[in-house]
Amino acid sequence: MAPTPGVARHRALLRNFLRRELSVRYLGSYTGLAWALLHPLALLAVYYFVFTMVFRAGGYQGKSFLLFVAVALWPWLAAQEALQRATVSLASYAGLIRKVAFPHEIVIYASVSATLLLQFAGYLIVLVALAAFGEPVRFAGLLIAVPLWLVMALAVTGLALALAALQVYIRDIEHILMPTLMILMYLTPILYPIALVPDELRPWVVANPFAWLVDRMRDALLEGRIAFAWGDLAALAVAAAIFAGGRWVFLRLSPQFEDLI
Amino acid sequence: MTTLLTLSGVGKDYAKIDTNGGRLRLVWELLRGHAASNVFRALDGIGFEMQRGASLGVIGENGAGKSTLLKIIAGVVKPTRGSVTVNGRVGALLELGSGFHPEYTGLANIDLAAALLGLGPDEIDAKREEIIAFADLGEHIRDPIKHYSSGMVVRLGFAVATALRPDVLITDEVLAVGDESFQKKCVAWMEGYLEQGGTLLLCSHSMYHIQRLCRSALWLDHGRAHMYDSADLVAREYLAWHEQRSSKARQAALSAAGALDYQVRRVSLRACGSGPEVDPAAGFDVDAAVFSPDGRPPVLALGVVRADGTAVYGSTSEIDGAAPCGREDGSFVFRVRFQDLPLLPGHYRLRAHAMDPEGLRLFDTHEVPFVVAGTTRELGHVRLPRAWQPAAGDAAPDAVRCRVDTAGH
Repeated sequence: MAPTPGVARHRALLRNFLRRELSVRYLGSYTGLAWALLHPLALLAVYYFVFTMVFRAGGYQGKSFLLFVAVALWPWLAAQEALQRATVSLASYAGLIRKVAFPHEIVIYASVSATLLLQFAGYLIVLVALAAFGEPVRFAGLLIAVPLWLVMALAVTGLALALAALQVYIRDIEHILMPTLMILMYLTPILYPIALVPDELRPWVVANPFAWLVDRMRDALLEGRIAFAWGDLAALAVAAAIFAGGRWVFLRLSPQFEDLI
Repeated sequence: MTTLLTLSGVGKDYAKIDTNGGRLRLVWELLRGHAASNVFRALDGIGFEMQRGASLGVIGENGAGKSTLLKIIAGVVKPTRGSVTVNGRVGALLELGSGFHPEYTGLANIDLAAALLGLGPDEIDAKREEIIAFADLGEHIRDPIKHYSSGMVVRLGFAVATALRPDVLITDEVLAVGDESFQKKCVAWMEGYLEQGGTLLLCSHSMYHIQRLCRSALWLDHGRAHMYDSADLVAREYLAWHEQRSSKARQAALSAAGALDYQVRRVSLRACGSGPEVDPAAGFDVDAAVFSPDGRPPVLALGVVRADGTAVYGSTSEIDGAAPCGREDGSFVFRVRFQDLPLLPGHYRLRAHAMDPEGLRLFDTHEVPFVVAGTTRELGHVRLPRAWQPAAGDAAPDAVRCRVDTAGH
């Protein structure tokens, strides 16, 4: 409403919120940021124990099963955490939303960015750790993997906008989200290769956009295939559509936040 | 003079949600771009203009829509109807600790507030010292806000909102929280701000602050503009209305308590002079009947208040040692004459209260308005007897010792 330069105004706010998101997550915990780095390594050690030592899962296409899972699992965990945190993020800004005029979507952007930034750092740590243990990680694949993370971030932000806005009106969203994401994880070829899915079910599994993302990520980081594909543009278009749809829902619902939050 | 703020036909509906199904329906309506169907009308048809340098007080009961109106002007709430135009930067201080994060220290919250106003950390640097000095929190500025008392939060909030010199300052009931010296500091700051051409929108239940800081006032009642005039006039009307309403409520509560209490059955006031208005010298007669449930003679309390509720005088039949005359229907009749009234001309009300025979408990209240005739330029409620003494010669030292004797005569 006030004639202030829009972009500059919101950039300072986004920076402040992002810092707040990052610090609040580790504020008051003694291990602090070190935990953010230890957590992915601890998780990797557990997966090593389960898949390599207990299940003795054999290699897949000449790669160890651990590497095969890790490359796909981290982006999924990142998306899952980002959605869960962002869905409930507006509540912790209730004081601001009720009293101060600012674009509410910045809360979602800050929450999603904070989660994805930390998770991406963890992803890099896991890749380096795997390489250090002699796994054949193709680091050149990051040329594709990083843009893929950005495409994923765009889609996740769109979903987060819609979910967070709905959560203000319908408190059940938060509770439905957790089991839904759990089910979706097993329906996505993360812990198994798509080739093992029975033929008649495979089209359904492939229709999942995240299945495409996982596949593309593995191609890049395991096989080192970094050539551009038209599918990448389609993925970007899908992500942009999800973002636009989610933002539309958010903007429709956000004028009443002040009353209901 | 430029128009800083224009509101026309502004209204706000809040969705009423009583069931979970209602929440789903609301989401569906909003997504389709419709207005919510089941609504509570918080504000309707509000329109006014504010010039640069104006000061407007917003008053009204709790729930009259004051906060909603200020939130709409601050941009926190989008109006359902009408339009709001603001040509300048709005600084809003809406209720306690608006815009503060409880986990953050005072310093970090200053940065957050600046970011919300669109200032970068470098721009706030220059202002930071000024804010810290005004808030005057000492070492507490480094503590998280959650350890602050409500008064400390308001100090910081006021310091932040004012350091940025907004074109329009909106404050909602913040003066009620700070301690005496901070209130004085705030009022002094606002007066200086107004002198320098600042524009103020103040919401307060304190008519003192409204009259002191605002030139005009808007009285909201159930979301509508009830009165919009000079601050003095609106404040006076508002106080009188409140006084009337609370005495009515008191009476209703008392009569609901049952018929077995002491009750004022009848009060009448008759001016002794000619005409309906009371001539102060002639006075008036009061005739009252008080019902007693147990047959013992009750006590009648009589009081005179100004139209705005200010007490002028009161006494009881017990203090005066007057006995009533009992009647067969269980009521007791009192007759009193008030004479040689020192009351200044104006509107008054006579209050009659029924009390128990011990004169301890007050049961019932009746009021009768009356007007004291005449005009005067004197101030106050009553006329005190006085005599101006002749100055004792030309010598100044004696004149200093000279006292005005107002007693006696």
